[in-house]
Amino acid sequence: MQQKAFVSGYYLDDKDLVEGIKALQEKNIEIADVRTPFPVHGLDKVLKMRRSNLPKAGFFAGAMGTAIGFGFQAWVFTEAWPLNFGGKPFLSVPSFIPVTFELTVLFAAFALVFGFLIRSGLGPGAPNIIFDEEVTNDRFQILLEVKSGNSDQLQLDLKSVGAEGVQHHDV
Amino acid sequence: MYVSPVREPLISGEKSYSKVTEDIYAPMTGKPGKLWFGGLTLALIALGFGLFSIFITVWDGIGTWGLDRTIGWGWGITNFVWWVGIGHAGTFISAILLLFRQKWRTSINRSAEAMTIFAVMCAGLFPLIHMGRLPLGFFIFPYPNTRDVWVNFNSPLLWDVFAISTYLTVSLLFWYMGLIPDIGTIRDRLVPGLKKKIYSFLSFGWTGSARHWARHESMSLILAGLAAPLVLSVHTIVSFDFATSVIPGWHTTIFPPYFVSGAVFSGFAMVLTLMIITRKAINLEDYITKAHLESMNKIIIATGSIVGIAYITELFIAWYSGVVYEQYAFVNRAFGPYWWAYWIMMTCNVITPQLFWFKKIRRSFLATFIISIFVNIGMWFERFVIIVTSLHRDFLPSSWSMYSPTWVEVGIYIGTFGLFFTLFFLFIRFFPVIAIAEVKSVLKTSTEKFIKKGK
Amino acid sequence: MYKSFEFTKKIKSYLLAMIVIGALLSVIGIVMNLDHTHRIWANVLLNGFFFTAIAMSAAFFVIVHVLGESGWHTTVQRIPEAMALYVPIGGIFMLLVLIGMHDIYHWSHTEHLDEILQGKSGYLNPVFFSIRTIAYIVIWSLLVMWFRKTSLKTDSDNDLKLYNRQRTIAGIFIVIFAVTSSTSAWDWIMSIDAHWFSTLFGWYMFVSTFVSAVAVIIILLFVLRGMGYMEHINDEHLHDLGKYLFGFSIFWAYLWVSQYLLIWYSNIPEETIYFVQRIEDFGILFYANVIINFLAPFLILMARGTKRKLNWLIVASVIVFFGHWIDMYMAIMPGAIKHPEFGILEIGMTVFVLGIFLYSFFMRFAQAPVVPENHPYFKESFDYDNIR
Repeated sequence: MQQKAFVSGYYLDDKDLVEGIKALQEKNIEIADVRTPFPVHGLDKVLKMRRSNLPKAGFFAGAMGTAIGFGFQAWVFTEAWPLNFGGKPFLSVPSFIPVTFELTVLFAAFALVFGFLIRSGLGPGAPNIIFDEEVTNDRFQILLEVKSGNSDQLQLDLKSVGAEGVQHHDV
Repeated sequence: MYVSPVREPLISGEKSYSKVTEDIYAPMTGKPGKLWFGGLTLALIALGFGLFSIFITVWDGIGTWGLDRTIGWGWGITNFVWWVGIGHAGTFISAILLLFRQKWRTSINRSAEAMTIFAVMCAGLFPLIHMGRLPLGFFIFPYPNTRDVWVNFNSPLLWDVFAISTYLTVSLLFWYMGLIPDIGTIRDRLVPGLKKKIYSFLSFGWTGSARHWARHESMSLILAGLAAPLVLSVHTIVSFDFATSVIPGWHTTIFPPYFVSGAVFSGFAMVLTLMIITRKAINLEDYITKAHLESMNKIIIATGSIVGIAYITELFIAWYSGVVYEQYAFVNRAFGPYWWAYWIMMTCNVITPQLFWFKKIRRSFLATFIISIFVNIGMWFERFVIIVTSLHRDFLPSSWSMYSPTWVEVGIYIGTFGLFFTLFFLFIRFFPVIAIAEVKSVLKTSTEKFIKKGK
Repeated sequence: MYKSFEFTKKIKSYLLAMIVIGALLSVIGIVMNLDHTHRIWANVLLNGFFFTAIAMSAAFFVIVHVLGESGWHTTVQRIPEAMALYVPIGGIFMLLVLIGMHDIYHWSHTEHLDEILQGKSGYLNPVFFSIRTIAYIVIWSLLVMWFRKTSLKTDSDNDLKLYNRQRTIAGIFIVIFAVTSSTSAWDWIMSIDAHWFSTLFGWYMFVSTFVSAVAVIIILLFVLRGMGYMEHINDEHLHDLGKYLFGFSIFWAYLWVSQYLLIWYSNIPEETIYFVQRIEDFGILFYANVIINFLAPFLILMARGTKRKLNWLIVASVIVFFGHWIDMYMAIMPGAIKHPEFGILEIGMTVFVLGIFLYSFFMRFAQAPVVPENHPYFKESFDYDNIR
């Protein structure tokens, strides 16, 4: 297992965090991660995050749900177990709508939730490291990865852009 | 984000982010008070009585209920629809208010969603036990079997199976995904030990990473976009249980949106009933304020009025249609043997919510609490009136009969209150009742006095 | 600061040309159908109702946002406000319908009513019907004008109490509109198929005209943008309008399915005759109605991006507008004229009434500043984000 190390610093206000990030970017310092107690407005733009593919996954899963829902009912009612109820046609489209709709939603929801968890590496017993337990309280943290022993330099950089509590972490 | 200074603050007092964490975490620390133990005990007793009633139902059979010709559905289905309806508020607050960008939802969405899950669990009990031969309950699911039969996909009762299952699942997922960051917050407050290990496990390793937050928001938005039509569809499908029939008073096209409105109406009333007590009991009065009260009460007038208009529409069209059976159904409701149920329903559902047009009443916790109880009583009677009055006297007068519940049916209903409140008391003890991260995200712009730290 | 709208001679001349062309085509159409007067009057009703209802739904749009303490709507508010002021003019067409009553409504032939229609004659009779029609138009016009007066006052008067008055007017408006939107739909549209009934009909009609109103708001916004106005509207506002168009199109489809599924399922002949008639005689239009009005906005506006681009919104809006004209056609014509007919008369009348509607809109829009700048929620409506 490769030994990793990180340097962290934090801010106590989300606007200060965004300023700090911009300052680091101007110095061409690569930011490993930013951790906040709540989603910060504008952070995705500043960090140039790519748009998530979750919506697409949800759409396709939902479409699958529609096809399976309608197709399965159609098969059951025309091939496997046709029932005459009230003289209605075996391929009774209007009455297939409710179950089709529910399965669409169910499939899409599963795709979104499991997509989110898997993509983000979250799950029961996930081995994610919490560097600072106050992040989930009120600290806005920046993480820089130490490469070729430049920890001291990174610590100075963070202090220079106004971060507090600058620390080194060995993983 | 700029918010007009004319707007009422959503959170009162002086708050910083850490104060928010502290306030919401506090009820989960220390020993629970006497009120909590007392409430939980009562709930468990009710649950116990309910379990006994269910045992009698399964062991001795549905004959222990008051159902008979021609009233095949009585308290069982009334309670089913009542509980499902209540559940709708949670999803409405989480999903639809998210789509409408209503910041005030952040103080109540977590507990409203929890309420939804508990309510749907209570509701789901009834279709299960009213089947009679409970061990064969799995027949309702479509699976390849040696009997070579499939379920009847054209039955609204089966649509219900899919709708309620999907609703329970999606509500659970939505609630839990929202909880994950907050469980992370709780985890990080704890000292190392068993409790921390448990919350660590439940937090799924949440770190607060910006990338995760971005994905989380995207997922929440789309889940909201899915949950919104879902919540409409669930009570619509429940209404189809009645509307797809030919029974006067049941078969009417307005049922789907009318039932959905009624569900949101009763759900919000239940949220108010719970939140007005809870906010006082666990010192969250700064987070659930008169601003929230007023907004929720506006939704109650709106949905209550829609229900009222639906009543008037049904009455008018019954006359307009010229169908004697339809006309009699409504005359019977108002003046027949169950007239008392009808007038309780009308008073509670049509008149009481209209009181919220008066600002003083809209902003009074006491008045709102009282009205919320009446609304829920009224909505229970609405389902009772629809179900029982239409069944006890339909087309053939020689078949007319009467219905009254047995102690077993009443016992099961009491048991559902027991289940609901047991789960609710456990929830407020072991989980954060307010969405910590969401409240923090609106704190700067919506609190009375924001304590800014840092430069 | 915000470019004030000028109702120039150029715009006036385009609209007058439209009105004149519409009038000419209508006259030709009327002359061609003098032996077939049901068709003429049915078209008067169709366009009279469609545009009047759109105007009232536009008013409802503003009203409901006022009651919900919304802020962002202030950026577009003056468009639906100006649309709403068409109601008195639309009322004139509804009064014309009263003249042609006998050609549209079977129940108005009071000499030979069957038993069922006799039962309804306490409500469906020419006198009471006329009184109700006039009452709707008068009350609606008064409400719309009362609200407009208060809204205009805020431009010159900074008193915050004016906004309390707006809320009060909004409350009164919504109660009256909630009841009359249904009863007017029963009177003017549902009673054409006088032996049929559906408790959902009033709400179904309302949602149809509401989503049409949202589409028209977007179309008018597009036109105004093209002329160089309303530049303050940003992507977030478009996104919100797009959400309405998307969401309410789905809601309309849900109501359509509810009505159809329940009547289909129970299979009671006195109810199913409504749909049987439509499917047998107007088949293509019947299915086109629900497919266009659901699938087009659903597929076009599902993605987040398209809701934020005026070019996509305009495509969806135009489809929805014409789609709901077809919806209205399907509600009126099968009962009124029995077999589908579409020609110069339909085109002419629609162009004529649309021209008048637009003329009224631009005239009213010019009579007020394009935004209510003094509104306390106006400033905040530029600083919010829809989730990415």
